[in-house]
Amino acid sequence: MLRDVITSIDYSRTAEIALGLFVVAFVGLVYGTMRLSRRTTDRYASIPLSDRVEDPRDG
Amino acid sequence: MANAVTPVSESQSSGEHPGGELESFQYNDSITRMFAAATVLWGAVAMLVGTIVASLMVMPKLFFELGPYGEFLTFGRLRPLHTNAAIFAFAGNAIFAAIYYSTQRLCKCRMWSDTLGLLHFWGWQLIILAAAITLPLGITQSKEYAELEWPIDIAIAVVWVGFFGVNFMMTLITRRERHMYVALWFYIATVVTVALLHVFNNLVVPVGWFKSYSLYAGVQDAFMQWWYGHNAVAFFLTTPFLGLMYYFLPKAAERPVFSYKLSILHFWSLVFIYIWAGPHHLHYTALPEWASTMGMLFSLMLWMPSWGGMINGLLTLRGAWHKVATDPVLKFFVVGITFYGMATFEGPLLSIKSVNSLSHYTDWTIAHVHSGALGWNGMMTFGMLYWLLPRLFQTPLWSSKLATWHFWVATIGILVYIVPIYAAGLTQGLMWREMDETGRLVYPDFIETVQTIVPHWTIRIFGGLLFLSGMLMLVLNFLMTWRARPAVYDEPTYTAARLGPYRDVERVAASSLEDKPVLELGKRVEAWARMDWHRSWERLPVKFTVLTLLAVVIATLFEVIPTFLIRGNVPTIASVKPYTPLELAGRDIYVAEGCFNCHSQMIRPIVAETKRYGEYSKPGESIYDRPFQWGSRRIGPDLAREGGLRSSFWHWLHFEDPEQVSPGSVMPNYEHLLVNRLDFKQITDRVRAAHLLGAPYDRELDEAPQMAREQAEVIAAEIVSQGGPVKRGDVLLIETQAVALIAYLQRLGVDLTRPAETDSEAAGDATTEEAVEDVGGGATAPDEDTPDEDDSAPL
Repeated sequence: MLRDVITSIDYSRTAEIALGLFVVAFVGLVYGTMRLSRRTTDRYASIPLSDRVEDPRDG
Repeated sequence: MANAVTPVSESQSSGEHPGGELESFQYNDSITRMFAAATVLWGAVAMLVGTIVASLMVMPKLFFELGPYGEFLTFGRLRPLHTNAAIFAFAGNAIFAAIYYSTQRLCKCRMWSDTLGLLHFWGWQLIILAAAITLPLGITQSKEYAELEWPIDIAIAVVWVGFFGVNFMMTLITRRERHMYVALWFYIATVVTVALLHVFNNLVVPVGWFKSYSLYAGVQDAFMQWWYGHNAVAFFLTTPFLGLMYYFLPKAAERPVFSYKLSILHFWSLVFIYIWAGPHHLHYTALPEWASTMGMLFSLMLWMPSWGGMINGLLTLRGAWHKVATDPVLKFFVVGITFYGMATFEGPLLSIKSVNSLSHYTDWTIAHVHSGALGWNGMMTFGMLYWLLPRLFQTPLWSSKLATWHFWVATIGILVYIVPIYAAGLTQGLMWREMDETGRLVYPDFIETVQTIVPHWTIRIFGGLLFLSGMLMLVLNFLMTWRARPAVYDEPTYTAARLGPYRDVERVAASSLEDKPVLELGKRVEAWARMDWHRSWERLPVKFTVLTLLAVVIATLFEVIPTFLIRGNVPTIASVKPYTPLELAGRDIYVAEGCFNCHSQMIRPIVAETKRYGEYSKPGESIYDRPFQWGSRRIGPDLAREGGLRSSFWHWLHFEDPEQVSPGSVMPNYEHLLVNRLDFKQITDRVRAAHLLGAPYDRELDEAPQMAREQAEVIAAEIVSQGGPVKRGDVLLIETQAVALIAYLQRLGVDLTRPAETDSEAAGDATTEEAVEDVGGGATAPDEDTPDEDDSAPL
């Protein structure tokens, strides 16, 4: 039965669906990234500069 | 050393972790030192083998004098050794050194388990050693960068996932820094994706300890291989090196990365896009057109994030360019990142179908790969090592001047390498397609196109030697710095509390529309759009890993499912039959000798190709090819329609010394095939494995050795009748591996033009065979009754 279901599905639009999904996901992550504040990104970017634990750590 | 818990003192406790216990910890640099040493050692080996392999293309008989040992040192066997050593030994150890050093410092904790680290190190070195032994012995799957056979593949999976992956993930889980810095994201993507790629590309049915047949065949095997192959470049040679860049470049430049936002976009774009791009390695092949087009489209998209990453790297040096003039570390990084930009510009360019039709199978690809491998991976590794050496060995670098010399020698070496090879690639591509006004090939003799570029190959050797000599400078600097190390390393102890549970610090995002006259739904949407949920994901390693995995798996499934399930992608051809037992054995010799390194078996539907090689290759022609043998490069001509083109004796002479029948050939002698005996008994296992995978064998299952001998007799008789010897030394012609290989070569491409067997004929054959079995207990069927015999008919 599973074989029947799988073989009866039309896969011809898969590439277009994939492209659509990609665009939606990409737009979402660009939006999310752009909402980061300057203060937050500055703190994140400074993490590798020190080997010590720098508080506060929950930025 | 394990973390130790110490009582909290009021002055040390963080306001965010009230009541938390302070812990002291030390970073484990010993494991980084080990991986750094292995990087240097294997780097020198990989580059030495590379130079030898490059020399073999100009002097194919270089090791001919070694007699029986020469067979282990042919281009076909050593080339995979070079690529595996460069990728998995040199670059692999480099990324492990980078990850072990930076992960601890980014997580502000020691690696979770020292023991797993050691198991990882020694396990990986044993795998490299196993590769160095098995590849020259001809034990290979023939899939590029996935050549190693199944027992080693299992070891790789155990070491990668069980030792490295678990240790890395547990370190992330027990970290003391809430935010996972972007370099860690790149490492996560590396860990999960490489595991996925490795496992699914290496699914096989074993035929003994040293041989296996791929679970996939033909088109699907090609698709899986280049899904793996391209993403090995993406997730083994790109993402971990980007993590390396995002950590070590700010450290060396002593300033934060130019744009953290850009680094996030860089990461997610690569993870989303890269995984789709593999099919661009198969343009104009028998791969379905839609998959090829999608591979090209996503490859073109890669331009944006790749250049975003390059710009981010170079702009991190804003205000610090004066340091580049004096600091060899930054010099290496600048050139490395620039090569990243160049290689990632060229990659999408090569994925454009019209460009690819010219570049594919030529040395252009080799130049592209080496500009990435030497320029990006090599230079970034060197920069990292020169930055690490004084810190790991706690003494100044032995010679900064020598490091600067290394930089210049390596940079010039890369240019001396790639420029002639780019020229060679373009020359090859243009000569292959050149036609006169009457529509005939201007260079119909393939050897002529090879001879034209031999001078380019010669210059390339000097480029390789320069790069290798730079590597030896690093070896010297490494050793001398190591010798000046202190008797006991100073291991600073850091003190900090563990992170509290995330829920304790989570700030629930309240909508800024709370007091506004807006529907509740609107408030929720506004709160969701603040993306705080994403911030929390970034802090949670397991969720983050699952997300990354999902991005990769979903993309993969969108390509894999249609490729495997739409029957129209691989239309079957009635006349295409499985290989005879002898041909199957010959095919395995073809694979073991690494013939695919120089010969493709895929004629593209391009006029110049069909004129040179014949009818273009159809998807249905390779349904019994496990693994597929389409190849990726043509140092020699395509062999897809080799069957019946030349006499069997011609092939015999060609193996003995190619120049006897093909003057100017750069193919090495394969004399050992003329004296090495074929193991007929072993053929049964191979036939059964192929049958298990779907090849419709019947009588062959029980009588494979006997059938193979019968076919060998026919071919041997041909060779003798054409002037060949009956025996060589004390080995009879019919017993040789050469005969099996000739049987395979004579079969290539002939099925397409063979009349399809009708149902009544098939039934008749079955009846005849059954009758023979009834009478003679399955002894010997008449030659003319077995369809396979037709395949080995005299030419």
